[in-house]
Formats: sequence, structure tokens, C-alpha cells
Amino acid sequence: MIWSTYETMARDQMEKLQLERLKQTVRRVYDHVPHYRAKLNELGINPEDIQSLEDLKKLPLTVKNDLRDNYPFGLFAVPQKEVVRYHASSGTTGKPTVVGYTKNDMETWTELIARIVTMAGVSAEDTAQVSFGYGLFTGAFGLHQGLERVGASVIPISSGNTEKQIMIMQDFGTTALIGTPSYALHMAEVAKSMGIDPKKDLKLKWGLFGGEGSTEAMRRELQDAWGIFVTENYGMSELIGPGVSGECKALCGMHISEDHFIPEIIDPETLEVLPPGSVGELVITTVTKEALPLIRYRTKDITSLHYETCDCGRTTVRMAKIQGRTDDMLILGGVNVFPSQIEEVLFNTEGIGPHYQIKVFKKGYLDKIEIDVELIDDNLLESFGQLEALKQTIRSRLRTVLGIDAKIHLHEPRTLARFEGKAKRVIDMREVK
Amino acid sequence: MLIDQLSVFVENRHGALAAVTDALYRYGVDIRAIAVFDTTEFGIVRIVVDKPEEALKDLKADGFVAKLSKVIAVEPIDKPGSLNELFHIMGDNGINIEYIYSFVMRRREMPYVVFKTDNQEKALQILKDKGLNTVVDL
Ligand SMILES: [Zn+2]
Repeated sequence: MIWSTYETMARDQMEKLQLERLKQTVRRVYDHVPHYRAKLNELGINPEDIQSLEDLKKLPLTVKNDLRDNYPFGLFAVPQKEVVRYHASSGTTGKPTVVGYTKNDMETWTELIARIVTMAGVSAEDTAQVSFGYGLFTGAFGLHQGLERVGASVIPISSGNTEKQIMIMQDFGTTALIGTPSYALHMAEVAKSMGIDPKKDLKLKWGLFGGEGSTEAMRRELQDAWGIFVTENYGMSELIGPGVSGECKALCGMHISEDHFIPEIIDPETLEVLPPGSVGELVITTVTKEALPLIRYRTKDITSLHYETCDCGRTTVRMAKIQGRTDDMLILGGVNVFPSQIEEVLFNTEGIGPHYQIKVFKKGYLDKIEIDVELIDDNLLESFGQLEALKQTIRSRLRTVLGIDAKIHLHEPRTLARFEGKAKRVIDMREVK
Repeated sequence: MLIDQLSVFVENRHGALAAVTDALYRYGVDIRAIAVFDTTEFGIVRIVVDKPEEALKDLKADGFVAKLSKVIAVEPIDKPGSLNELFHIMGDNGINIEYIYSFVMRRREMPYVVFKTDNQEKALQILKDKGLNTVVDL
């Protein structure tokens, strides 16, 4: 099922709509946001200069620091009294990034989530357990509203208290699980230790995961562990929260709601706009947001855009799975590696579990990388040599596939950190550059 | 006769071994023999217990990586050089001993020797031919 007719709009109609909305947005930020007015004046651009979607690239880029520098409400285009909701993303250092929603923004957000949950298979028939943490983080409230909109029965259980989550899942007959992929993985492990076989004892059908990137290998792990159909969705609080894009059942990328967001791919070094299909940094312009419109916001996420019509019938552009974030990229002895690439190699190795930790440090002038994994295969206990061989296998795969040399440590199951929200699997102990 | 031996993966850290023995104690399983070989950062604990099947099920449920494997237990003849003889017999027949340890049962004088070879069936046959007593029941 397709929730909205905007999702199947013809390309020319969509572009017409986007241009119209882009013009309004540029006018809006010029009139109401001093930061943007100053930037446009500096570049000698008038809102009237925007006459085609091509003109988008004339506009200045926005970065997360612009939000921080204008903390808390400096980039808002409406007075505070028009804001009906605040959310914030926790900055690891210093002040959080604050976002706001007007009444119309809330309506937009709810509709966007209704689209992605419908895409993922959820309907009014479903009972949805929202295992994102409720609070300033946008994940839980975002999904909650949209799930209610499609008529699903929502269980706002939040994150944590995992055994209780499993009990409720069983007792309420939960059919859709919503949360971060790493928490879902941990929950599956807890269910198993409680003697519950998710495939037999639970009614789960759908897994809608987001809030952090995930790999195809992670999807397989989740599908196998729960016996569910797994889709990923994407968003970030600055843009609106979850709901920017989501996967349909064809699983060939996440459909972006282009009537609200105009995506571009740029080269993160030269900042040049790249043609469709190219891999680069995703940049998004919000064209309907009232409280916090953002022009060409640099998401730092590395992906590519695909415009061919999808098997599901939607015409909206699809973004590939996030390969990594520009600031997550590890430079190890001159080799660029995303943690997601390491994850892919680990997940495709038999004998170890899906939990891992990557540690990077300096020894002299050299970058050293150590990876902790958990042994799960008891067949390797015949001889010590088999365990050593497993370590060697992982090491040589990382060397062949990614060109990095990592020291592997085998640990007992359930000894590495588990996560209830976003996973923090990389510890970089090198000096901050 | 081949007997069941538990193999359990342990990290070389404080309390890791105790976690295994604590668990076995909780299950009411008696340890007959235990051996850990030189480890770097991890190792495999080999344990002979009175209720191997049950112990394995419980250990796995508690999240340990554990497995049952068949090992040979022999009672060397009480004379000087009997252990030496055992190694020679194996070596001469092209059988490689992967690991070996010994233990003493209460009220018995001679230690049992437990070992695993790369050809268990053949090793057993040779022992039988040489008249060495392989232990049936511990
Ligand atoms: Zn589709």
C-alpha cells in the first residue's frame, strides 16, 4: 500500500512542486533568519534569483555548527510561541542541537512517518512496540505519531528494561518492533536467554529500524534472529527527525519524500554537486518546514541517489544505505575505512557473534587497530589451533577486503558492550586532530 | 572406551575459570578432572564431569561456548616407564596426541591419563591390543 499520492507523482510535476516550495523557503529564511539573510547578502543572492532547481547549488551550505553557533533558537524562522514541540540531539560535547516544530510541522512529520511505516508493511492491523528512548531524541515520538496515524496499536515502551520488553511483546502480541538495529540485536539475545524462540513464541512480523546506520549483514542478522521482515528508515533531528526516507518492501534503497526534502550529493572535499548515482555526502534542503527550515544541510552521511522508478510503484528518489559518516571515517595508516565496512566483514565471518568493538590507538607514529569479537561457535573447541585460525581468518579478510591490519581478540559471549540506543562501537584513542 | 569431556572457552582474565566452576557447582555437577593449558588471551578448559550432557546444556543456556568431545581415559599399568611406553606406542603407530592430562581418583593410587588424539578409534584399538586398561566409567 502507498500512503500518499505524492509518493507516485510524475517527475515533472514533482519538480514543479519542489521549485515552488524552494522559492517560498528561500524567501522565508531571507525574511526571518538573520543567519541566512547575511549569508545570501554576502553571496549577492536575492530570493528572486532562484528560478529553477538548478539554482539550488548557488545557495550556501548549512552545517551542524551553524545550529550550535545559533543555539538555541537562532536559526528558527518563527517566534517561540508558534513552536509546539522541541526536540534536541545530544551533542557529545557542549550544547545540544535544538530543533522546533510548528503545528504544521507536526502534521507534516506525522504524515511522513505514516508513509514510511506503510512502506515497511505496517498497517492498522499491527501492534507496534516503540523501543526508542522517549525524550528529546526525535526517534520515539516521531515513529509514535505516524504509527498512530496509520491506525496501528502503539506500545510506547521506550528503551531499556529489556526482559520486560520481551514479556510485553509476548503478552500484547506485538507485530512490529521499532528501535535502533543494535538494540534489536541485543533484545533478540535477551529473548533467547529467557528461553523464548521469537519465531515460535512471538507474533513479530516487521522490524523498522533507524536512528543509526546499518549494513546488509546487520539486516540478515536481525532477520535470522527474529524471523521478521526488516526495513531501515532514515532521518535526523535537524531535518525533521525520522521520516526523511524509508525502505519499501523492494529493499532497494530508502525513498525520500521529495515533496518535502530536496536531496543532493556533493563531493565532501570540493563541495561540488555530483550527478545521480555518484557516491558522496548527502545534502538536504527542507522545503516545507516552518520552524526550522534548512538550506542545503550537510548531513555528513555518505550515500548515493537513484531516480529510476521502484518496483513498488513509487517514483520518489531512493538513497542507498548509508556507507558511513564523513566524521566516522577512520584513517588508518593512510587507508580510509568506515566502521560499517569492518562490520560487514565481521558479520560475514562464521563463528563469531554480531557484537564487536573497534579500538584505534597510536603506537609511536603508527595507527594500531584492535577488534574485539565474541566467539559463538563451539565446534572450534576441539583444539586451540582452530581458535587461532579463526583469528587469522578475520585478520586476513580485513587485510584483503579493506587493506587494514587489525589485531583480533576473541572474547566469551555476552562480554562486550550492548546498546539500548545508538551503538558506540568505535573507540578512537588517538590524539584529537 | 571413549569418555565425554567438556571443552569450555574462557578468556584469560581474572575470575573466568571460577565462573565455569561456579556454574558447574550450581548445577550440582561434580568435577572429576580439569585441565587448562598455556593460554595467551584465551584458552580452552577441559573438564571431565559426572553428568556431561546435563552440564553442557546448562553451560550453554548460561551463555558459555561449550562442547562435548570424546577423549580416551587409560589407567597406565603400575610399573616404571608405563607412560613413556604409552607415548611410544602412539608415536610408533603414527598417532598424534593433541593434548593429555592426568588425574587421581579418590581411593585409587594410580593416576588416570586422559588424552585426545587425531585418530581416536585407532588409538583405542592399539591400547586394547597392548592390554592397556581404558577406563569405562569414572
Ligand atoms: Zn520502492
